Amino acid sequence: MRRKRAWAAVSAVSTAALTLLAACGGSSYSSGTKPTTTAKVFTYDTYTQVMVDGWDPATEYSNGIIAMSNMYQTLTHYNPVTHQVDPLLATSWTHSSDGLTWTFQLRHGVYFHTGRLLTAQAAEAAILRTKKLNGGASYIWGAVKSIDAPSQYTLVFHLSYPSPLALEASADYSAYIYDTQAAGAGGNLTKWLNTPHDAGTGPYTLQSWNNGQEFEVILKEFGKYWGGWSGSHYSKVVFRVTPQDTTAAQLLRSGQVNFVEQMSPTLWQSLKGVSDISLTSSPSWQNLLAQLNSQSLSEPIREAISYDTDYPGIIAALSGAAVQSSGIVPAGLFGHFTNLPSYTYDPTKAAQLLNSAGYGPGKKPLNLTLTYTAGDSNEQVVATLLKSSLSKLNVNLSVQGLAWNTQWSKAKSSTASTHQDIFIEYWWPDYADPYSWFVNLLLGEKQPFFNLSYYSNPMLNKQINNVESLVATNPPAGSSLYRTMQVEILKQAPIVFLYNSNYQYAMTNNFSGFQVNPAYPNVIFVYDLHPKS
Amino acid sequence: MLAFVARRIALAVLVVVGVIVVTFVVAHVVPGDPAATWAGPHASAAQIAAAQKFLGLDRPLPVQLVSYLGGIVRGNWGISIHTHRPVLSDIMTAAPATLELVISALIIALIIGIPFGLISARRPGRVADQVIRAGSIFGVSMPIFWMALILQLLFSQKLRWLPAAGEYSPALLFSHPLVKRTGFPVVDSVIGGNWPMLGSTVVHLILPAIVVAAYPAGLIARMVRAQVLDTIGEPHILNARALGFREGQIFGRFAMKLAWPPVSAALALVFGYSLVNTFLVEAIFDWPGLGSYAAASIATLDTPAILGVTLFVAIAYVVANLVVDIVQAAIDPRIRLR
Amino acid sequence: MIETPVIAPADAVLPRGVRLRRALRANPLLTVGGLLVVLIILVAIFAPLLAPAAGDAGTATHPLDVLRGPSAVHWFGTDQVGRDILSRVIYGTRVSPVIAVIVLAIACAIGIPLGVAAGFLGGWVDELVMRVTDVFLAFPPLLLALALAAVLPASLTSLTLAIAAVWWPWYVRLLRGQAASVAGRPYIETCRALGISRTRIIFRHILPNSITPLLVQVSLDIGGVILTASALSFLGLGAQDPTPDWGLMVAEGQSYFTPDWWLVTFPGIAILVTAFAFNLLGDGLRDLLDPKRSFLP
Repeated sequence: MRRKRAWAAVSAVSTAALTLLAACGGSSYSSGTKPTTTAKVFTYDTYTQVMVDGWDPATEYSNGIIAMSNMYQTLTHYNPVTHQVDPLLATSWTHSSDGLTWTFQLRHGVYFHTGRLLTAQAAEAAILRTKKLNGGASYIWGAVKSIDAPSQYTLVFHLSYPSPLALEASADYSAYIYDTQAAGAGGNLTKWLNTPHDAGTGPYTLQSWNNGQEFEVILKEFGKYWGGWSGSHYSKVVFRVTPQDTTAAQLLRSGQVNFVEQMSPTLWQSLKGVSDISLTSSPSWQNLLAQLNSQSLSEPIREAISYDTDYPGIIAALSGAAVQSSGIVPAGLFGHFTNLPSYTYDPTKAAQLLNSAGYGPGKKPLNLTLTYTAGDSNEQVVATLLKSSLSKLNVNLSVQGLAWNTQWSKAKSSTASTHQDIFIEYWWPDYADPYSWFVNLLLGEKQPFFNLSYYSNPMLNKQINNVESLVATNPPAGSSLYRTMQVEILKQAPIVFLYNSNYQYAMTNNFSGFQVNPAYPNVIFVYDLHPKS
Repeated sequence: MLAFVARRIALAVLVVVGVIVVTFVVAHVVPGDPAATWAGPHASAAQIAAAQKFLGLDRPLPVQLVSYLGGIVRGNWGISIHTHRPVLSDIMTAAPATLELVISALIIALIIGIPFGLISARRPGRVADQVIRAGSIFGVSMPIFWMALILQLLFSQKLRWLPAAGEYSPALLFSHPLVKRTGFPVVDSVIGGNWPMLGSTVVHLILPAIVVAAYPAGLIARMVRAQVLDTIGEPHILNARALGFREGQIFGRFAMKLAWPPVSAALALVFGYSLVNTFLVEAIFDWPGLGSYAAASIATLDTPAILGVTLFVAIAYVVANLVVDIVQAAIDPRIRLR
Repeated sequence: MIETPVIAPADAVLPRGVRLRRALRANPLLTVGGLLVVLIILVAIFAPLLAPAAGDAGTATHPLDVLRGPSAVHWFGTDQVGRDILSRVIYGTRVSPVIAVIVLAIACAIGIPLGVAAGFLGGWVDELVMRVTDVFLAFPPLLLALALAAVLPASLTSLTLAIAAVWWPWYVRLLRGQAASVAGRPYIETCRALGISRTRIIFRHILPNSITPLLVQVSLDIGGVILTASALSFLGLGAQDPTPDWGLMVAEGQSYFTPDWWLVTFPGIAILVTAFAFNLLGDGLRDLLDPKRSFLP
């Protein structure tokens, strides 16, 4: 899920705090007494409520992964350096030459937090349940026809078409392996999970959840974690919600939080050179999109909007948080091309296109509505700039900032007349593959879900349905197909690709081991961090 | 006395019923789609229709009103759309933090307002008076959300004298955890003998409380001044002077007694105003009270929650007024005749 | 009261100009308030001439010039899309004060007829009107306006209507009090006995007597409405971008407040100064015109 990338200035939610104790010396206004415990605590500061989708790892599709990825684990894990997947809960895997049978060997001696042992049967049950619930990103298991567990640690998948299963198993959503028997024989697992409880295998387990409070989620170390606890590790993880990023920056300066997930670009830059704080800026696989309503806006108008977007202006205004997009697929992923025919800021061309549709300067005014996620100041800047450039061409853009849930329900509603003309949201992939953009945003839907350009191109639909298996069997042909699809989409302009995000993080420098992994947006695997004492 | 109390209570109940009706009417001007928001991001059309049924939105309006009224009385204030929990329980969780903030702010306002009001009334028309009057008008003209940001920048970031946000230092979360008994962090730390936590909670209260105290302080100073000036010519004061009390003593011993009644009436008023003012500052200070909850509800168009908070604050305001009225009547029998 | 009356009986023979000047000198706060209000009104009227970049108060943006600090070119700096903040603050004088005037006009339009009817007619009309106003007065103003604004689509119109819906009860109370007190006087009874119509009584006696307290209340309330309107815009419930509403500017500037303090500081000062000016004016007028003040805060 993407929308939750928005940051809420006056948004709700709880704040979960996580403060770094002792090690960092605390703030100048702590109570003054030395803490009596030696627990090392890592505080992750976010801007919006963490757990909004419930606690079910099968259907989580939002911000909750920042907490869940520390409690739950997947079979494989994407390595951003090697661009391959590494073993995690699976230690090795093979697949048949036709790509239709995949065999995974599972790690021995892994225990769920419920006390049960991880076996192939348990993993099979989890994946089947995730598929059945059909929530979140469960489409990643779409190729799976059936699963076998011939021995205690051997998991065999039978696919109906070839698909890169090891890569899909590393997804940041709907790929967690959890204990389906946690609620007992006849128990309702969803209800049990939402109490909340966690049924994962990860290094941390849930200590408390304070819904609507400052310190929203607190995790504690799981003693029997298979990775062991030797060496320097954090024993507690606290997720603190601070709606105001200026407050978050102050908390970071005083050492009361270790990591701030998002802040405005100038605020981030103002922390340069501050002692005890380190900054990272890294490219991501996240882009900001403007989905143009293809039912209310004809192709010339969509192209006109694409030409009337001030791309360099947006990049300049966001000072470092944004880079120019090239095509749909971000750099670092299969299917990325740098030489695709793309749009530039060309108001003259835009005016011509509008004229051909009967609009533009001197002709009748065009009234459009745009929705973005309230509280996200970057989205707001983009919306304001769009409004400004469009107004010069006699197009009146009415901009509405809505809470993400509201923005999305309005766009998904079955009454087409309430649909906005332009929908602003972020997108990032569910696993390290370009397929996510095409299957979610551009595949024709009977009932709108994420295809909020309401776009359906029969030839493109066929291509999208074929591309996965093509990539698995014939990578060069798959790459070529991705190129063809992108060219066609750019021509038809159902989506304006505004920019690619840079992740600008700020953190205290009293720990080591931090690595940005674009496959798991904004997730910190706290177990991999080593506090300096 | 009893008749007076009974009459006032009956009136208050009537007003509360009216308040409930008004909030219900406000609810049904909603153009959004609460059912879709409730059903959540993954809902299909069928699920949204089911949500409509669940929320009772498919029944005729008068039926919904009666059901709403009945529900309120029984403690069912609806389910919050963004937390999916009963609104009343959300409010009860959030209320203590706000009450703590408002009460501290009122204490500060009284400590500042009364003495300045008296000084101002002592020599009316002179420099001190003009300055204090300007100051109190300044206080009631202050945009609170702006003051919060400026003070936070100044005292927290630049001077590092006070903490930026939160109810207490998170370092104490594990070392000296707070045991929740009443829900008021300050009270709970005293009860539990948790002195480091007490220090921390008090220090964290200072900045938000000062911000919220600006308006009441200005108002109280003005009222004290006006009331004292009004009564300073009264016979019993002249009598006191005739008896030989010095001006200073008159102000100290008698003036405050005269100024008290309207000030105490004003307390109910500023209590209500301050409760609402917290909506503007809690998000800035990460204060987990009603204000943050209201801000969250506004951002998610969570109508049941917004109405719940509105109802709660209005009822608190009515109750505060009622209490002040009764106390005043108990002290001053003349009031009972009104 | 101990204060010497502003206009002593002997002064009545002095020319008006001298009386006025004496009154103003004796009331420095009123003078300052009055001058500031006049200044604000002038700024609002001459905004296009005063603002260096009038387009910035509309849809113009300058993305290459974002977040520049105060300088010779931009006295108040630029905002997150490069707009000149000085120009936007100047044009802001056309937003909140105008909303305040409209709100109070609506409040009077509702409050005067209702209040006069209640006070003059008495009986069940009075009871009914009083109970209804009691219910509305049970909400602290910002609260009900907030609830209303939150359920209406966010816009200046919704904002104005929401605040007006909250402010009218005070005017009902005020006019009712006036009407009731006038209606109770003996000469009114005489008038009725002589057959003079109720309407004449209302227009010739009640309303003229009410002008002074009404004027005082309005000038006191303008500051309050401006603060309420900017608070609601701050919460996102009123003005929308690019309207140069000061509350909205503070809300948008929050995320940039550190280190770009100018986005929040200048609009906030504008709100403060404007509310302060009108409150000073109102307070001074109250002292001047209505020595027996009533405690409508």
